[in-house]
Amino acid sequence: MEKKELDKSNALNRRNFLKLGAAGAALGAVTIPSKARENLANKIDEKTAGDFIKTHDDFPYEVRDDYQPHSNKDIVFSGAFWGFHPEEDIKQSGRAFSAKTYMHFEEKKGFDQLAKALNAGAWSLHNAVTPMSSQGISQEGIFKWEQSRKKEGEFRPNHDWINEHQYQFNNKKEAADCIKRAARLYGADLVGITHRDKRWDYRDFIDPHAIMEGRKEDAVYGWERFPFEPKSVIVMAFEMDYEGIATAPTDVEGAAAGTMYSQMTKVAYQLSIFLKQLGYQAVPCGNDTGLSIPYVIAAGLGEGSRMGNLITYKYGPRVRLAKVYTDFDFVEYDKPIEFGAMEFCKNCMRCAEACPGKAISFDKEPTFEPTYEGANWYNAKGVKKYYMDAKKCFHTWGEFGTDCGSCMASCPYNKPDFWHHRLVDKITAAMPGPVHDFMREMDIAFGYGDVDNPEKIDRFFNPKGRSYNGK
Amino acid sequence: MIFTGIEILFFTLGLLTALFIVALVKYNKELNFDKWSWITLITGGSLALFCIAWSVSSVLEGVPRASSMGMVVFGIPSIVLLLLGRRMAIKKK
Repeated sequence: MEKKELDKSNALNRRNFLKLGAAGAALGAVTIPSKARENLANKIDEKTAGDFIKTHDDFPYEVRDDYQPHSNKDIVFSGAFWGFHPEEDIKQSGRAFSAKTYMHFEEKKGFDQLAKALNAGAWSLHNAVTPMSSQGISQEGIFKWEQSRKKEGEFRPNHDWINEHQYQFNNKKEAADCIKRAARLYGADLVGITHRDKRWDYRDFIDPHAIMEGRKEDAVYGWERFPFEPKSVIVMAFEMDYEGIATAPTDVEGAAAGTMYSQMTKVAYQLSIFLKQLGYQAVPCGNDTGLSIPYVIAAGLGEGSRMGNLITYKYGPRVRLAKVYTDFDFVEYDKPIEFGAMEFCKNCMRCAEACPGKAISFDKEPTFEPTYEGANWYNAKGVKKYYMDAKKCFHTWGEFGTDCGSCMASCPYNKPDFWHHRLVDKITAAMPGPVHDFMREMDIAFGYGDVDNPEKIDRFFNPKGRSYNGK
Repeated sequence: MIFTGIEILFFTLGLLTALFIVALVKYNKELNFDKWSWITLITGGSLALFCIAWSVSSVLEGVPRASSMGMVVFGIPSIVLLLLGRRMAIKKK
């Protein structure tokens, strides 16, 4: 099943590393002709990266035969805001979060009016055009499922209609390259394409508007309302600001997350229009309609992790995710990758220690079922992974009035894009488990990943603080 | 600024590497290094260059603690190795 081969989607990143790190690269740049230089870089890349990043033909984590697609009713927001579960504590967390977020500011740095205003500005576009998509609600605003055709002679000052003529690509690779280039042009940082997989789609959908309007019979609906049979899912990752996430758990961190929610709303919509104008049906999604994490793992954007988030090779867990469902399938699909993150998670546990709500598992090995005590309806059970107690996590959101982010900020894979961090990642992946403990301790000793540090807020606002990547 | 901090760093590292190689060749003519002197001096020199690369990069990314730790973890062993290599080379003569 498992096959080692070079992962092209990450080749540029590794090549940059090699170009920077290899002694004599400067000499080569002057003396070796460009074609020969490219060949040399490719050879070094194959020798090193080929052993470092593995690709899988199938979904890389075990899925039990009795796995059932997750219900939209069984996500923590549905329990907190729309009453699909009777537990009072989750509703209380929802009320606390609603009361504190944006509207309630304190004297405390990171939760003051400046931070709240920053957070509100960050989320504003998302909340204006796709208000509840971040809570897993489908068909919000411009993320609507409707697929319309342009009527003859009609003037419509928008592009949200499907072209009658279907553009034909010469081959599948060209199609994948063009779609990925379009997504990157619009603002995605990582792009992958995978098959539609019903396991990762929500089993059903909830309609909060029906609940608010008193139409309880319409509160839950199924895939029969989806306008076409999706064949492919284009997934995108968006890098969040390093210094913003480092301020976790504050509203400045929430602003870093919100900025990318607004960005992914824009990009997913734009990419769906691109596909529609090529003559294919498309539905843009944020957190709604399907589970983003397994889709992005299947599309080779990264690995799973202890905290439950995706860990990408380039940005670690510091990304937000969006996807576009489409009926276009003449395309080269990506494969899942493995670069050692999940192995590292077994020994690291920094996210579990940093979590203020103690929601992240300390289990040594991944399991098929949650191992924490109490209700667990909000976990998609039957996949071998680490299960996070989303209720405890959301309780912490209610306390802070913002989306904490301490897990991402503390993760050793959360680093700016510098050569020495990529070197450490490579060494870590090549080393056995016990060495990972040492690497984790070194990460602490070198001063990375501490959370709840007010100095990081000063640094975020300091104009001289942003010098990453030598810029 | 025309050049970024990282570009200047790696250009400087290239110059330092060249100087180190020239120095090794020059002193080898005078002292005629044995195998262990070569190994110790090259390891020490490489570690010193790595220490500079790491520490300057850490300053550029704004994590001074990582820079200090880099000097301790890579810098001190490099100085020890370079001094040891020098001693071995001189002793042999």
